[in-house]
Amino acid sequence: MNAIEIKNLSKNFGSKQAVCGLNMTVPMGSIYGFIGENGSGKSTTEKMICGLIPTSGGSIKLYGKDHSDIDVRAKVGVLIESPGCFPGLTVWDNMLLQAANLSIPNAEKEVIKILKMVRMEGAAGNKYKNCSLGMKQRVGIAMALLGNPTLLVLDEPLNGLDADGMRIMREVFNDIISDGKRSILVSSHLLGELQKVATLYGIIRHGKMICEMTAEELDASCRTYIALKAEKMSKSKMLLSSKYSRLEEDEAGYIHIYDKTTPEQIVEYLYQNAICVTEIKTDKIGLEEYYIDLMKEVK
Amino acid sequence: MEKTVKFEHNSSGKRIKSMLKVDFRRMFKSRLFYILIACSLLIPIVMTVMMTMMDGSVSVDPQTGKETVMQGPENTWQSIGTLPGGEAMGGMDVMSMCNINMAFMGIAVFVCLFISDEFRSGYAKNLFTVRVKKSDYVISKTLSGFICGALMLLAYLIGALLGGAVSGLSFELVGGLTAANIVMCILAKIFLMPVFVSVFTLISVAAKQKTWLAVCGSLGGGMLLFMTVSMITPLASTAINVLLCLGGGLLFAFGLGAISNIVLRKSSLV
Repeated sequence: MNAIEIKNLSKNFGSKQAVCGLNMTVPMGSIYGFIGENGSGKSTTEKMICGLIPTSGGSIKLYGKDHSDIDVRAKVGVLIESPGCFPGLTVWDNMLLQAANLSIPNAEKEVIKILKMVRMEGAAGNKYKNCSLGMKQRVGIAMALLGNPTLLVLDEPLNGLDADGMRIMREVFNDIISDGKRSILVSSHLLGELQKVATLYGIIRHGKMICEMTAEELDASCRTYIALKAEKMSKSKMLLSSKYSRLEEDEAGYIHIYDKTTPEQIVEYLYQNAICVTEIKTDKIGLEEYYIDLMKEVK
Repeated sequence: MEKTVKFEHNSSGKRIKSMLKVDFRRMFKSRLFYILIACSLLIPIVMTVMMTMMDGSVSVDPQTGKETVMQGPENTWQSIGTLPGGEAMGGMDVMSMCNINMAFMGIAVFVCLFISDEFRSGYAKNLFTVRVKKSDYVISKTLSGFICGALMLLAYLIGALLGGAVSGLSFELVGGLTAANIVMCILAKIFLMPVFVSVFTLISVAAKQKTWLAVCGSLGGGMLLFMTVSMITPLASTAINVLLCLGGGLLFAFGLGAISNIVLRKSSLV
């Protein structure tokens, strides 16, 4: 059974088609990284999944049932755009309201547990409006986690989080899917962070799904490159660019060679030209570079 | 073996109960609710005392030189409605405008801010994700608005009684008025409250996060209905008035509630 199964989904805003013929499958127990440029239709799709905007066509099924099913939707946790807290109330009161809304028994105990999970137990008494951006984001995630949701739909949940916050989120995400029944749909522009948690990816552009792939498939698709540092870097670069066609220099000063070659061949070539290589390593491009490459191809 | 997930079924009663719990918790924690109740309590006291003090004073129009003798209230019950045989309510004098029926306009502010706050903060988005039935939302908002309105009417009644006592006004039931009539009048006004609340709820769910639109629309729409309140709920109300108001209240609550439900289902909730 799939947590989310979308077929031929479309959404029009007047004459503008935000989502057209989108197909998407999120299996149970997966963390689905939903990637796309601004305005590509990610948030619109997520809002349609949560029933916040009506669809123009197609079908959305959650755990095999229509997405408008009362019982399934009662177990969806959401963080889209903003956490949905009342600014004048404290974090604690906002959480209790959401707990009451979800009819959670032992609400106070559950709220304490969730706040501890997102490291916000010390700020429970703060008014929501006085919280920092990162704290607000953690509260938003805590709100989404209340009620032990079966499906989490998170739009840019990592925005505003510090390194510790991101690590906590990775742990929380992995905890959630550990029973193999719960799933997370997460969209983020922080592709490096997303790559650390996602088990499946979907890339959307202009409202259409370009590709869906597992983390293993992504790994296999990502091209390898050789990064090196050498004496006389400018001369090295000149020499290498005359021999290899795809060459880049990164911020740390490494020359990246994407052509099909081996470190031995490069070292030998530079040695023949009286240049000594000081550092050399083989690596794979990340999700970010893969995405940029893919977007260039599509364009 | 295929993995399956079982979902617990919540009855509509349980869903509405939990939503009402949230709304009441919010209402009793909101500053606006207490401001409106305090206003409902204080306005009749201030108005009655002020009007009694000004009774008999003469004002002269500087242009025409015409003298006008200010007339204060003669009876405490005038804050609630027109005394039998008196001038019909709905006139433009201060006592007519600032009587108990003000609660019907006060509730417009409460309903609009209560609902638009939910859309502006994004709380409605969280709510509608887990709450598919939009009718639960409309029922809960109408009921909480009705309770707030009823409490405002009762606060005004208490304020009017206190104002009358402080000003030394008569509590005499004149013109064949009985205590039952006053009870019926208050009951009729309470049962008429859902008419207003459902109108304001509909305007607010249509306006969503646009608070100004909800407030202006509700006050405008409320004004159209406002003038009829004193006619339907006179001080000498009987069981017929109560039944009429109850019927009207239920009809409006269900009818406009259904329209609000359609508006929520067909429009974007973010």
